[in-house]
Amino acid sequence: MKPNTPLQTLLLSLADDELILGHRDSEWTGHAPILEEDIAFSNIAQDEMGHALVWYSLVETDTGRTPDQEAFEREWDSFTCCRFVSYPKGDFAYTIMRQFLFDQAETVRLESFLESSHPGLKEAAGKIIREETYHLMHSQGLVHRLGDATPESRKRMQQATHMAFPQSLGIFEPLEGEAELVSGGVFAGNRSLQAEWLRRIIPVLHSVGLSVPADPGGVRDSCIPDYGGRIRDHNEHLKELVDNLQSVYRSVPGGTW
Amino acid sequence: MTDTQWETYEVFHQSKRGDAHIHVGSVHAPDPEMALHLARDQFARRLRCASIWVVATRLITATDYQDETFFAQTTDKSYRDPKTFGAPDKLDPHAS
Repeated sequence: MKPNTPLQTLLLSLADDELILGHRDSEWTGHAPILEEDIAFSNIAQDEMGHALVWYSLVETDTGRTPDQEAFEREWDSFTCCRFVSYPKGDFAYTIMRQFLFDQAETVRLESFLESSHPGLKEAAGKIIREETYHLMHSQGLVHRLGDATPESRKRMQQATHMAFPQSLGIFEPLEGEAELVSGGVFAGNRSLQAEWLRRIIPVLHSVGLSVPADPGGVRDSCIPDYGGRIRDHNEHLKELVDNLQSVYRSVPGGTW
Repeated sequence: MTDTQWETYEVFHQSKRGDAHIHVGSVHAPDPEMALHLARDQFARRLRCASIWVVATRLITATDYQDETFFAQTTDKSYRDPKTFGAPDKLDPHAS
């Protein structure tokens, strides 16, 4: 396989993030604590997979590799999602916190793409951002409500924040060839996106009394970014997920219905 | 059995501006704003939708099915029914 161009690297990282998080969200189907959230998460899971399809389709125009090939024929250690999206769904607090941190990151990313010099990226971002606005309203709404509802919910949301924060920094792990994309005006670059993302998430978390590891006096070990995903250095959680995701496809290679 | 979930909100769906809002079901939600979001996920994903209303079920005052006399018509009121003259199914505003 030819090495990816920087643009393909970017697009695949976006697509893989969405596919893997969408799969994790789908694991709540039939298991969410409230029926309505069960439906909401199933809905969000399908939306995230729809976003993955948009990004994989853009890759296809360059490489000829179809979205199905990307999703179902690659080995787990060829995915370039951040590690953050691959971790088990945890409790509902962790799921909500992950979704909130990711939705904010995706929104910042899409806003940057709206200014992109690459027409395909710009057009796709315009479509996706309308759905993403509602994902963010949903996850941020629940952060507000669970963050200071009861001692138990506060405890769990605080634990979730400490666990998810360093993982979520991995969303912004630098990509190979990124400098070329930034100088070409394709997007603002991960360093700048992360700064904007921090400006948005921290006030929301503070507003419900949640402390962030990055706060003064916070736990410094909890601020070490969980990098590795973008260079395909994953862990067994992704392997297990991808095995599951590809099991039907691989049982009848090339099958159709 | 007591309901351990959030309180319920009744959901009214309007498919286009000017149409009546029609009751389509209910959702559990912690507050009206979340009720709108959850109603959107449940009722506006496949239906064409111009507007949704939600109202807390507890705010609705309703009749009691046991109270049959509430709707009873005990005397002959047929004289009130406009059935002695005909009217077209659809009135034509331009007819002279």
